[in-house]
Amino acid sequence: MKVLLLEDDLDLGNGVRIALSDQGFEVVWLRRLDDGLAALADPGYDMVLLDLGLPDGDGLELLAALRREKRKLPVLILSARDALTDRLRGLDDGADDYLVKPFALAELLSRVRALARRSYGLEGGTVSLRGLSLDESMRWAAVEGRPVELSRCEFDLLALLLKRAGRVVTRRALEESALPGGLSNESNALDVHISNLRRKIGPGFVRTVRGVGYVIDLQPEAAAR
Amino acid sequence: MRLAGPLLDALRGAWRAVAGPSLMRRLLAAQMLTLGLLWTLALALLAYSTGRGEGVLGLNSVYETAISAAESLADRPREQGELLQRLDAALREGYGDDDADAAALAPSMMVQQGGQVVYLTGLDPRPLLQGPPDGRIVQHEDAAGRSWRLRTLHSARSDTSVTLIMPDTWELIITLTEHGLYPTPLVISLPFLILPAWLSLRLALRPFRRIGDELAARGPQDLSPLGYQPQHAELKPLVEGLNSLMGRMRESAERERCLIADAAHELRTPLAALRVNVEALRQQVQDPGQRALMDSLLRSNERAARLVGQLLQLMRSDAAGAQPQEAMALDELLQDRLAALEGLAAARGVELELETQPLLGPLRAEPGSLVSMVDNLIDNAIKYSPQGGTVRVSLQPREDGALLTVQDQGPGIPAALRERVFDRFFRAPDQSQSGSGLGLAIVRSVVERLHGRIRLDESQPGPGLRVRIWLPLESPAALPTLPPSC
Repeated sequence: MKVLLLEDDLDLGNGVRIALSDQGFEVVWLRRLDDGLAALADPGYDMVLLDLGLPDGDGLELLAALRREKRKLPVLILSARDALTDRLRGLDDGADDYLVKPFALAELLSRVRALARRSYGLEGGTVSLRGLSLDESMRWAAVEGRPVELSRCEFDLLALLLKRAGRVVTRRALEESALPGGLSNESNALDVHISNLRRKIGPGFVRTVRGVGYVIDLQPEAAAR
Repeated sequence: MRLAGPLLDALRGAWRAVAGPSLMRRLLAAQMLTLGLLWTLALALLAYSTGRGEGVLGLNSVYETAISAAESLADRPREQGELLQRLDAALREGYGDDDADAAALAPSMMVQQGGQVVYLTGLDPRPLLQGPPDGRIVQHEDAAGRSWRLRTLHSARSDTSVTLIMPDTWELIITLTEHGLYPTPLVISLPFLILPAWLSLRLALRPFRRIGDELAARGPQDLSPLGYQPQHAELKPLVEGLNSLMGRMRESAERERCLIADAAHELRTPLAALRVNVEALRQQVQDPGQRALMDSLLRSNERAARLVGQLLQLMRSDAAGAQPQEAMALDELLQDRLAALEGLAAARGVELELETQPLLGPLRAEPGSLVSMVDNLIDNAIKYSPQGGTVRVSLQPREDGALLTVQDQGPGIPAALRERVFDRFFRAPDQSQSGSGLGLAIVRSVVERLHGRIRLDESQPGPGLRVRIWLPLESPAALPTLPPSC
């Protein structure tokens, strides 16, 4: 797993490099936007960790460059800006995730791993978590290697929850992206689909946060609670 | 009795409309007052020139004509009387003697011959004649207190004398007034004058109203220059002053925004570096004692990061007047923020619950400040909840607004401290949770900015803290409303 880290702060950049290296990632750490843009010529990177406030330009320029080249390289923004609008702008510009400084290392690792899963998923591989496997391009799902028949809605819901495993996906986000007709659905249509999905994949995977949304926890004990 | 309230209100409103200061009324009153003064002055001048001037009393030719007529016809009393009457009529003609009232203003004539009155019209001046006449104009008051001026001239050839008598100047004015000659034209013309005067003033003051309308129509965050650029000498400085003031406010808001963004970056980057390095080090260390030390380092780092975050929120909330407002769906925002904070709740073994009912409209607010309000509320509730506890959040429509309720199952806040916990850096004594004491201060600052109300009491069922926040929704007409008292 090769990660490009663009961060101008010496202490922070070094800390992230060491922490990720300890977890088995290969990290290339650069401190200038120009160097970062040049490094992207190498197709070997699996992911970019991007600081927005770089000394020679805004990190969002790198996002624009990636978009121009139509490269689906996952990008996780690390920024000290936390205003809601900054978050939204980063995501609109094509970033896959956004982490506000200061962040916990566990949070960073979980996001990086989620992006890694996605990165493989986009390449036609399988996303796997706690015995759940999902192949988006083949639209095929399995529990402990045993294939499961899912309806179109159920498959989309499971894919979305797995992609963002460890974090609650709001009811609105699930309804908008996984249910036909989007928000015009009956208020309990989502609950019916989730209930069917649970019946098929078994209990203990999808946890309800009442009124907020659903989540597939990274660790099984959280779901068992 | 039931009518008394509205009626009183209506009367009060009408009185305010009449008694309240108004430039229009001031100008109108000044115009009308000037008109009245000019009118009075003109009449006074007129009265003075006709009254104080000798007038007919100074015309010797009139006397001489009367004397010679009386002398030459002394032996024919009937013809003498007729001639004098004609002369008298000619004198009175200017005063309109066909009108009985005007006779009081006209001169009266008396002709004496040989100690006998041979001709007399109007007032009998004999009671007023004192001492021997010397041919000068004298002034006398009659029994009724009215003042008269009279002059008697003797013939040099015979014992004929002619006396003319007229009301005095003041009497003239009083008589004019009594007969309605002074106020009537004014009273009749004023209403006709007020309307065109009012209309012309209204037209002339129209640019003022245009400025007022434009200012009233703009949103509270709009600091752009006025679109209307009047060239009037009186308005140009006003509009230029307003535009320059708004320009300065724009600049200062921009500077403040930059300062907050810079401060956020400068404060957060070293905190993030410290944290990542300690965590990376902790991964490499196995000794439990060293790990415990690093854990307390991380806790301190977390507290500092939290404090920095809250201070920035507070700065932003204080500067929120300068931030753009947006129409926001509160239920969606709650769902998003609860989803974001669920990780923290799950780590502490706390369950989150959200119940929303459809609202009547969106809420107009600066997104960042609303997010910090919700985050601090939920964060507090999670922090004080016991393991296995539930934080219940609900949103309901209530009185043209939205009622947001957050209930936890923690220790709650004693009634005596419920006001003080809103103070910045205030922390309830003997509590085990770490915190900056800024959370509720930020919440209240945002609520006040949105003209809402906040109340703390006990969870139902208790124990625990219940926070209820009422926020006004954007009304369809988007009328500016007064902040309701809490």
